[in-house]
Amino acid sequence: MKRLLGMFLPFAACVCLLSGCWSKKELTDLAFVIAVGLDKTEDGKYLASFQVVNPGNVAGATQRGGGAAGVPVSIYTSTGDSLVEASRKASEKVSRLLYYAHTNLVVVGEELAREGLDGVFDAMERSQQFRTTARLVIARGHSAKDTLSVLTPIDKISANQIIRTLEFSEMAWGQTINVDVWWAIRGIASPGRNPVITGVSIEGGLKKGKRQENVQSSVPDARVTLNGLALFKNGRLIGWADGPTARGMMWVLDRIHQTNLTIPWEGKQEAIGYRATRAKTNVEARVNNGRPSISVHIKAEGDISEARVPINLADAGVVFRLEQELERNVKQEITKAIETAQREKTDIFGFGDAVHRAAPRLWKKIEKEWHDRYFPELDVTVTADLYIRRTGLRNKPYIEE
Amino acid sequence: MERIKINARQLFVLIVLFEHGSAIVIPLGVSAKQDVWIAILLGLALGLLLFFVYRQLFEYYPDQPLTAYLPQIVGAPLGKLLAVVYITYFLYIAARVLRDFGELLLTFAYPETPLFVLNAIMALTIMYGVYKGFEVLARTGELFLTVLYFLALAGFILVFVSGLVDVTQLQPVLEEDWRRVWKTVLTETLYVPFGEMIVFTMLFPYINNPVKVGRVGVAGMVLSGVNLAIIMAINMAVLGPDAASRSSFPLLDTIRRVQVAHFLERLDVLFMIALIIGGFFKISVFFYAGVVGAANLFGISSYQRLVYPLGLLVLLLSVAIASNYAEHIHEGLKIVTFYLHIPLQVIIPVLLLIIAAIRRRFNQPAK
Repeated sequence: MKRLLGMFLPFAACVCLLSGCWSKKELTDLAFVIAVGLDKTEDGKYLASFQVVNPGNVAGATQRGGGAAGVPVSIYTSTGDSLVEASRKASEKVSRLLYYAHTNLVVVGEELAREGLDGVFDAMERSQQFRTTARLVIARGHSAKDTLSVLTPIDKISANQIIRTLEFSEMAWGQTINVDVWWAIRGIASPGRNPVITGVSIEGGLKKGKRQENVQSSVPDARVTLNGLALFKNGRLIGWADGPTARGMMWVLDRIHQTNLTIPWEGKQEAIGYRATRAKTNVEARVNNGRPSISVHIKAEGDISEARVPINLADAGVVFRLEQELERNVKQEITKAIETAQREKTDIFGFGDAVHRAAPRLWKKIEKEWHDRYFPELDVTVTADLYIRRTGLRNKPYIEE
Repeated sequence: MERIKINARQLFVLIVLFEHGSAIVIPLGVSAKQDVWIAILLGLALGLLLFFVYRQLFEYYPDQPLTAYLPQIVGAPLGKLLAVVYITYFLYIAARVLRDFGELLLTFAYPETPLFVLNAIMALTIMYGVYKGFEVLARTGELFLTVLYFLALAGFILVFVSGLVDVTQLQPVLEEDWRRVWKTVLTETLYVPFGEMIVFTMLFPYINNPVKVGRVGVAGMVLSGVNLAIIMAINMAVLGPDAASRSSFPLLDTIRRVQVAHFLERLDVLFMIALIIGGFFKISVFFYAGVVGAANLFGISSYQRLVYPLGLLVLLLSVAIASNYAEHIHEGLKIVTFYLHIPLQVIIPVLLLIIAAIRRRFNQPAK
């Protein structure tokens, strides 16, 4: 009897301790939230939208010839005074537990962003389920909820579509920035840097965009598209930067990987295209007589991608002159970007951090007034070295003089 | 006392595991902000001085643990009282580390499990290990150190490959002079984990080659100290001083940020393994020291008889010492440091050494 008990007890203990299913949840009990959208309602509450994956309509749908059965994602919305409250309250509508470990995208509505992001991200950073590596975008001109409800072709889950667009657009074009929640928190918390976040807007009719037919056409009625950079100050959205200005900011932030520049040549506008394939930016702060100044140095190399005027690219002298023209162009772009930020009085480049590193004592004194007083009057010297390494498969264009 | 001996390599392994213990997961010395690595290295330097004190005591009284030679140095009544204090201290720290361990797991992995259950599972494992003897622990340590190093290397490479390390975040160096650094050293990094080497005064007698104790101890501490400094510097460089000092577990945050090629991500489990291995050895060493100390002091022939009662005590203590994490950390940083670490790691050992040295000088001519 005693031996039997002695055998039984360890077994019982093993069963209880080793199975490890104290708070187990089956896969079918979970709703995978792939994207979270945040807006403000009229009475000042949070309106949270959750894009939940509809597993049956994603997996294998392409092989079976179009997932006509249903939409790949479903949007649930819920309101609350705080983010977590809204999330918990959503359980009234979702038949499964919302699960955030795979949330890869956070969309913040423009209105909420203009009111301020302070405190919005705390729940995301504190939670052990949520990850701060989730990408972050601002819904420009629309609510976050609308942005998330547009159905997309190619990448069936629209959150993935946005994430991948962010990633590849930064890599190939460089007018939008691929940042995560972490970056925003860091920017808000740091006294010497403010965040910039990419804007996402909707092209076309929103009504049709929500329906499955949207992706059954080669030209969808509605598309989500990246659109400019949102400039923040004190955690509030204060303005947008687009086109070359946005790219100028990206140069300074050392976020340009590849891009294409078009420069004039001998009086003709938009004549020569240059594809940068490698770029590096150095930002350095100096202090003279108690006044900080910044020097930005760009170094890039690349190839000629287009030549629409007669030009002899086999001539090293011509290439050298082209390089100088390019440098002038890039410098202009960057100067414009810096001026824009200075006009908005928000140091989105982290120049303050550079000053902090270079002159900690001085920084202590000017930290409080950095964005409003010192940054707008900051001396910034921009220098650029652009190299044309190759000219592609042709040395002369087919147009003759 | 157990009639077993471990070799110098095993002692080295145990010291390294012990020193890493919970120190790699907690925000060690983050009050020094970006100068945390300097604070850790200075802590190591001072910790080595303390270690020489402990080793010198061992040289005066080889073959005996701290609790046995305490009465010989300061006389029976006071010595025995101090021995009781030290035993309580070791068990209390074991309970504290166990609590750390439980809190960590609860915060990031098992939010719905009661603390007691997690602590009980760990405590049972430790009791079993200690029951089996010190040699078993040492040999397990050899195995696990390899695992830990492999993980550390993998994590290290991944963090670098994902391009997260931004060395500029470690600048400006010594922003607020040495004061902030010294304050961190003297209130945090010196005692945890370096001053905690005091517990090894209970274990030195088990070394089969006592001459090597000094060399092995220094090597183990230096390796651990440098590792810890590197790890915390990387945490700072990845997270930045602001986030690193707001984080409950900087290493976890660092690992969570790793994203390589879209599939090497969410590597929290690396952190978890490091936590469990480190926690296990740190608690085991403290617990073992407490148990053999008690057996030795109260003349109990087999220390194993004390494992389960004292283990239960540690387990209950680990749950009872604080009602929440904030209280636990507050006690650890403010109360334990000043009322336990400083007297028991620094003041008493130094006094003991002085008294012992004087005694030897006066006793020698008489011999």
